[in-house]
Amino acid sequence: MAESMTPELARRAAPARITRGQRLHLNAAVAAGNLAAFASRISGRGSGASIKGQLMTKLDKDALAKLLQGRRIAAVSGTNGKTTTTHLLAAAVRAGLGADTQRLVTNADGANLHYGIASALSTAPYADLAVLETDERVVADVIRLGKPEVLVLLNFSRDQLDRHHEIKSLARSWRTALEAAGADGPVVIANSQEPMIVWAAQTAKRVVWVETRSVWAQDSALCPACGSELRGHDAPGEQTAQRWHCTGCDLAEPEPAWSVSGDTIIDPEGTVWEPKLQVPGAFNVSNAALAMAAAAELGVPAGTAIRGMRKVTAPAGRFATTTIGDTTVRLLLAKNPAGWAEALPIINTDTVVLAIDSVAADGRDVSWLWDVDFEQLAGKNVIAAGPRALDLAVRLSYAEVDFTVKQDLAEALAGHPNPVDVLATYTPFQKLRKMGGLA
Amino acid sequence: MSLEIVLVYQSLLGIYGDQGNAKVLLKRAQWRGIDATLTQVEPGDALPDSGDIFLLGGGEDGAQTSAVRLLKADGGLHRAVDRDAVVFAVCAGYQILGHSFGVGDADDLREGLGLLDVTTTRGPERAVGEILTHWNGHEGEQAWLTGFENHGGYTALGPQATPLATVEVGIGNGDGTEGAVQGKVLGTYPHGPVLARNPALADHLLEQALGHGLDPLERWEHDELRRQRLAAVRG
Ligand SMILES: [Zn+2]
Repeated sequence: MAESMTPELARRAAPARITRGQRLHLNAAVAAGNLAAFASRISGRGSGASIKGQLMTKLDKDALAKLLQGRRIAAVSGTNGKTTTTHLLAAAVRAGLGADTQRLVTNADGANLHYGIASALSTAPYADLAVLETDERVVADVIRLGKPEVLVLLNFSRDQLDRHHEIKSLARSWRTALEAAGADGPVVIANSQEPMIVWAAQTAKRVVWVETRSVWAQDSALCPACGSELRGHDAPGEQTAQRWHCTGCDLAEPEPAWSVSGDTIIDPEGTVWEPKLQVPGAFNVSNAALAMAAAAELGVPAGTAIRGMRKVTAPAGRFATTTIGDTTVRLLLAKNPAGWAEALPIINTDTVVLAIDSVAADGRDVSWLWDVDFEQLAGKNVIAAGPRALDLAVRLSYAEVDFTVKQDLAEALAGHPNPVDVLATYTPFQKLRKMGGLA
Repeated sequence: MSLEIVLVYQSLLGIYGDQGNAKVLLKRAQWRGIDATLTQVEPGDALPDSGDIFLLGGGEDGAQTSAVRLLKADGGLHRAVDRDAVVFAVCAGYQILGHSFGVGDADDLREGLGLLDVTTTRGPERAVGEILTHWNGHEGEQAWLTGFENHGGYTALGPQATPLATVEVGIGNGDGTEGAVQGKVLGTYPHGPVLARNPALADHLLEQALGHGLDPLERWEHDELRRQRLAAVRG
């Protein structure tokens, strides 16, 4: 045990209660999965994490449940910031573990569905601490199968409505799972500013509220509990001290334990911390506050957590600076209007490339372009790229922002003597990572 | 004259970027030198009796029910129709203009605003995807209306309403027709910034409100987008 480690962090998970037969069955599935992943890698079809998870689960339908057992789990979910927050929390825990980092496993690559989580866990059978990025749709299963100690709920907003018709149904699944888990359920670390999050977390045995500085309030006009109008919301981009409340029932913004103020994080004792992260933007200060609160639950002191979080630079390629062709680019990802609202203010180059696609992973409907305040790019030289560049071009035209259209990503990135910020939806972002040698 | 565009309850009815329609109308008027303003009305504010074009967008069931209650209590939208102002509503906004619409898994009937002679009930399958229609009574390339639809309700028109368009690809009202027109009240399913994809429809609304024709606006990217979307949906 490292000298500085707190007893809480030093505490080992209870061993998994699975029989030798079940263990052998799982090991065989993992071995087959490893082989499939290896085949995928050498044939250039990607990391193979998902293929591995898929095969393991096919050979042992209880693979995920078994792999989750015997670990102290912190799950991280929400619409935006999952990957970065998972990296921040994992880095905080790693700092707390000192030389004992092999106790930690995390799905650092952003593969956050059943298969991705199972695949990550299978690589570290003896790690008893797991920090798991968890897709919103998988949260209920992870609560049920993995009995996480901590669940971080970051934020909740509209995302790919062509697939998820009612955003409340996901929040309802969290609420139901937390209620069913009862005293065995996780301590929830949650954003007090978002009504849907507050409603979902109400059924948890205990919640640590974190007041972030959300700039997106457009998905919470009505009370998730009773359907009445909510009041006291800050308009998007504006911030007042006012807390929200429902006009029809007693749902209201809870008193936070942790809060974010400017670039600082204030802990429950009132100590002000300056995170000074390498990942940019106000949004990531909020993510760090939630990660610090989660780390504290696991037994990592604030100072140690910050020391760890400062090492995080480019989680799964996000915010990475790299070279594509002869151009120095910084890669930014935004997957929905709230994500764009957070990411646009980070842009600090005169020329910016915005890359838009509309395959399933991006959302097939690009109407969201009209919920993003592209007007703030006035004065910059914007290059619209990707298969849906023309939809963006028309949006920019009505925003009276200067633009050129270059659908081809390589062409859009060519011929820039100065560094360029590139903000992309999911599919072009993954292509850009590859082009930049990052994936 | 000056032109006042009113965006109604964006926080309730604006889930798919529908506020884009307000931006499009405002800019297309201003680019022609017309003194146009945009007024955003949220629950708690009164609808202005000075408005020339009222815009309603899409929203979930609960938001639809709230919007109807608030708009009935306000009365401003009904007064606007009485004085022949233009109303343009998409998706859920279109549904609430009718006599009734269904909500929830049980398709519970809710009373609408009664400004369009239509009724909406749950259809056999959810309509999600690109839609292409032909605008009734219009000719040429601009008569093709392109958009994205995402709705579970199907709409039946009564005798006082006429369909806006005829479906080529997609679902629309569910019976081969799309949208409804009654006087200067227009409803349509393609949500989000449907006017950005169909500038002729945007100009039609402006002309209805202004009472006179408009010179064309040339914007290459708008034409290119139309070409691309029409080609994509026709395969
Ligand atoms: Zn309420």
